[in-house]
Amino acid sequence: MAVDPKMKFLVVDDFSTMRRIVRNLLKELGFTNVDEAEDGAIALQRLQAGGFDFVVTDWNMPNMDGLTLLQTIRSSPNLKHLPVLMITAEAKKENIIAAAQAGASGYIVKPFTAGTLSEKLNKIFEKMGLA
Amino acid sequence: MSDFAGMEDLLQDFLQEATDLLSDVDNKLVDLERAPDDKGLLNDIFRGFHTIKGGAGFLSAAELVTLCHLTENLFDLLRNGELELTPEIMDIIMGATKGVREMFGELSQGVFPKPAEEYVIRGLKTALKGESPVVEEPVATPPNNAPKVKQEAPPQTEQGPDWVAMHAAITGVETGTSAPAEEVSAPEATTVPTVEVPQRAEIKKPVAGKPAELGRRATDKPATTAASRRMDDKTRENTIRVDTARLDQVLNLSGEIGLTKNRLTSLRVDILAGRDDPETLHALDQAVSQLDLLVSDLQNSVMKTRMQPIGRLFQKYPRIARDLARQLGKDVELVLSGEETEVDKTMIEDLSDPLIHLVRNAVDHGVETPDERLRLGKPAKSLVRLEARQEGDHIVIIVADDGRGMSAERIRAKAIEKGLITEEEANTLDERQSLNLVFLPGFSTKTEISDVSGRGVGMDVVKTNIQKLNGAIDIRSEQGKGSVFIISLPLTLAILPVLLVLLGDQPFALPLSMVREILPIERSKLQEVGGKETLVVRGEILPVMSLARLLGWSVENPPEYGVFMQTAERTFILGVDSFAGRDDAVIKSLEDFRPRGVAGVTTLSNGQIVLILDIKELLADLGQHTERSSIEFT
Repeated sequence: MAVDPKMKFLVVDDFSTMRRIVRNLLKELGFTNVDEAEDGAIALQRLQAGGFDFVVTDWNMPNMDGLTLLQTIRSSPNLKHLPVLMITAEAKKENIIAAAQAGASGYIVKPFTAGTLSEKLNKIFEKMGLA
Repeated sequence: MSDFAGMEDLLQDFLQEATDLLSDVDNKLVDLERAPDDKGLLNDIFRGFHTIKGGAGFLSAAELVTLCHLTENLFDLLRNGELELTPEIMDIIMGATKGVREMFGELSQGVFPKPAEEYVIRGLKTALKGESPVVEEPVATPPNNAPKVKQEAPPQTEQGPDWVAMHAAITGVETGTSAPAEEVSAPEATTVPTVEVPQRAEIKKPVAGKPAELGRRATDKPATTAASRRMDDKTRENTIRVDTARLDQVLNLSGEIGLTKNRLTSLRVDILAGRDDPETLHALDQAVSQLDLLVSDLQNSVMKTRMQPIGRLFQKYPRIARDLARQLGKDVELVLSGEETEVDKTMIEDLSDPLIHLVRNAVDHGVETPDERLRLGKPAKSLVRLEARQEGDHIVIIVADDGRGMSAERIRAKAIEKGLITEEEANTLDERQSLNLVFLPGFSTKTEISDVSGRGVGMDVVKTNIQKLNGAIDIRSEQGKGSVFIISLPLTLAILPVLLVLLGDQPFALPLSMVREILPIERSKLQEVGGKETLVVRGEILPVMSLARLLGWSVENPPEYGVFMQTAERTFILGVDSFAGRDDAVIKSLEDFRPRGVAGVTTLSNGQIVLILDIKELLADLGQHTERSSIEFT
């Protein structure tokens, strides 16, 4: 099974400039079906509505942070299969452990390039048996 | 040339969003001083610096990343209770936000920010170590302290391989060489926090054969030159953020107008071909009416895209008030309300300076020191209110303080002493007119100008700026209780509802906002008072001024109609020959060759060009030779 370029991404970040950056990087990689959410709570609503194949989320956000979003996704029967890539500004040990324990499919440290993002995505796709 | 070639759009977006965020942080810091243990505030501020840092990383603004990183770490300690917020730490934090703001300034000019001032960096590091920072704000910045800062910074990548392995172990995902260590693309020489930041060359490295212009869409290309031009223009922010719903409405309406235009084009063909049956004419009538409606809707919608909540302006002020109050040893809280009130964007920009002046003025001159207040039986903390609201077709902005108030007596005495008015003139002034004397050029209530409010900008400039926006400013004050400055502004500058009046055949437009009513002038009812014609309207004696005379025309026929005009300063009857109705004038300015007394021009439906009169200017000109005292102070 190959990676579908039409797969639908949800980019979650409270900083719209950052959402735009991620959206543009995804576009460079050929993924144009991207939706955005401002925080974990809004993201969850959109995810519950269905149709998403991949979540790229920031960690630090108001209302509901990325980690809580991840935990909520993993504990929801209808969402738990979703790949979640965590974006963090910190390459801190405890952050990564927390993300990994909560079931993150991968993590990426800001700032990153399309190349790095591509590698992270491919790793996740491989694991999912898509690539 | 900009350091950000190819990233102008991203930079613009970042600056706009990050500046708002920083203002928010500033306000929260002011709140934090009052509630130093508020976890929510600490979290929000932490996140603010964190977010700015993240964005700055993508822009390769290394120094900004460093500064935000240190500040963020400090807030991490504060929110975890590992550090206590002392006034010294607060000062360092304030220095850091100031530094971030300055860096935004450098970014907006298209250059990479210089390192933050050394005392800030040093202070942050000392505080992070749990020691009390000594705040010595140097008068002048040491020329270049970059190398020093860089050496001091702990290398962040040291832990790299460790947690990569850790992650691999936990998740079972083979990260190998693609781990963040690889993301460190900077030359090995840099062992600074900035190593996280890839060099710009790296960002732009082509990926998958496509040019990787970070943060830019392919469709953005033509904007490049415009964007760089924008960055050179530092004085004004030339971009605007618009709710997409509003833009959609504009799009929708222009679509509708396109359809109606098509209908008209086809009707024109029919009519030119000689069809004039009732059905065709009815269709024409309908299409034109529809166009009428759509165009006015479109005008409104376009106008709305220019409307911005005034809160974006207001949010700068709590910090300004706080800094000034601290400097003066006062305890002032600036309370904002009505931030959601929408105002034309140009107006927001032009209001910034007058409002800063009024706020500073309230803190500096308006309110007393805590000691004095306690002695007077007032609470030690003074309140300064900054409010905005819409009243009909006007926006009202209020700057109010609960300070000592203004003394009409003292203001009059001062104006006489400064030679701005004569004693005789002073005696004729009522309370309100006396207060308004502060708007005269050359007036300042304090004998020595404090370096705080008196920065070469006087209240006269405040008034001039407000008037430039077709607005008015007024003062109410009660001794011992405080002063209120009331600014009233039109909703927008682009469209002005006008009354068309006629002198002979010549139409003139008067701003409808000044018109109260129209009444016929019966010669028999005119009374001469002090050599001037007056008319009694419902018991009020009003002077009658003929428009012809104001314009310097010869008065051939006595005016037949009077327009009851009311400005912020005075009411009077404007004598005209006739009137032609009301219109929504689209103002075209006459910037370079504007005659006095003319606010602009507009075009009537029949193509005739009409002058829009500036009544205040006309009256002022008249006042200069005939009735100086009654006009000058108003």
